[in-house]
Amino acid sequence: MDSAWTALDVVTQTMVQKAIADPKTVDLEKLSNAIVDQSLKDLSFCKDAGRMCYAVVQAEVQKAATSVFRRNLLTRLQQEFTAREETRNHSVQEWVCLVTFICSIFDYIKVNNAPLVALVDPIYDCLFRLAQPDALMNEEEVDCLVVQLHRVGEQLEQTNSQRMNQLFYLLRDGFLLQEDLSSMTRLLLLEILEFRASGWTLTNTAHKYYYSEVVD
Amino acid sequence: MWAGLWASQFTTPPLQCHVTSTLTYENDCKPDENGKKGASRWSHCRKRGADGNLRKSYEVEEPGKCSHSSRRPESFTTPESEGPVSRVKNWGDEVEAEEMRSNVRRDMHRYRRRILEADFPQRDRKISSGSSDSRDSRDSKESPAKGDLETDETTLIRRQKQINYGKNTLAYDRYIKDVPKDMRQPGVHPKTPNKFKKYSRRSWDQQIKLWRVKLHAWDPPAEEGSDLQQIEEIDLGEIMDFELDVECSADTESQCPTSSGASLLETEKFKLKDAT
Repeated sequence: MDSAWTALDVVTQTMVQKAIADPKTVDLEKLSNAIVDQSLKDLSFCKDAGRMCYAVVQAEVQKAATSVFRRNLLTRLQQEFTAREETRNHSVQEWVCLVTFICSIFDYIKVNNAPLVALVDPIYDCLFRLAQPDALMNEEEVDCLVVQLHRVGEQLEQTNSQRMNQLFYLLRDGFLLQEDLSSMTRLLLLEILEFRASGWTLTNTAHKYYYSEVVD
Repeated sequence: MWAGLWASQFTTPPLQCHVTSTLTYENDCKPDENGKKGASRWSHCRKRGADGNLRKSYEVEEPGKCSHSSRRPESFTTPESEGPVSRVKNWGDEVEAEEMRSNVRRDMHRYRRRILEADFPQRDRKISSGSSDSRDSRDSKESPAKGDLETDETTLIRRQKQINYGKNTLAYDRYIKDVPKDMRQPGVHPKTPNKFKKYSRRSWDQQIKLWRVKLHAWDPPAEEGSDLQQIEEIDLGEIMDFELDVECSADTESQCPTSSGASLLETEKFKLKDAT
């Protein structure tokens, strides 16, 4: 969480701490916007931002019995999601951050230990977009796609396996048929295809194949 | 001349709408990624999918092209439903609704377990410290037989909402701090109605009203404009929902769409003044 924490400016850091200590003293709408704004700018932040949001959500439930922060967060996310195509057009980086952040929220924030069903289809929509031929040409989009699938793929499949099947048809087609993909992209796609085929885990052999050159 | 052009459009096999020049969308587009959007033969002519969202590659410069998409309904009101339904769901609302549903289900499991324990009492029965609205399973006179629980989710959720309105008050906060559960005397201290018991609609609504009136005994002390303070505890959302529950005929479960929020606001004010 360190990198996420230091990515925030001091004002927002203070707000987060105060919100966790006493949610009623903080403008939670403002805080949720500040966190989303930062997430859209900073890829390293948005991976862990989900955990920070989770802390605030929990604090609010336990100490104030309200869910204002979560509601504001979701509303803002929904707005960003609705405008995702324009976002992608003017900044692929921001688009990638958006997807990463939504998945991070999905990963951390649960409702009575169940995932946020409302986010399932939107996340699939994002992943489908990332699996389109034009997106597969950008390594940062492919990277985002496979990282999110590693992270929340299994949960997504449990809530809607049909869409996951369809997504993987696209990935397989991309891998096999798209001629202009970089070799790194192909490698990433192959790894995720194997990963899912082995039940969202990597066998030892596969791990050696893909990661033998990665320094631990 | 135009008529001729139109005619030629319409005589072509319907599957191939000859509009390919500006449409970047292929006819054999995977219906799956737009699965929700309605894969009918006219799908690629339509601006919006069945879920109301704009299709990705719709190009706007084709006026009058697929006018035989008059199959598209004028409004999104289906005959059976109450009125136009918002096409785009609000994530905040969805999550809160899901949370309420799963809370009710969890309460149901706990309650069922508690009833079983009451039937088969164990030596050192631990009293759960979590708050719950249905703690009276130990009173065997009142405890419903296992088959007599209210299980309809819509009803349970409606009842839970009514309970939540009562518990979201300053009065309730002060009450639970003032009187611990084991010190409560029946009749004297208000008791939250048990949503799992079978009651008629009228009976339940009456119990809720009485419970809330009793809770007013713990209202914060009177200050300048305290009447206003009490009224402000109820927000409009609550009024609308509460009104739907109360104004509908007592023995039916249907939600009648009414809009006379003002009249119930008056009734509430009246009741509060009564209770003070």
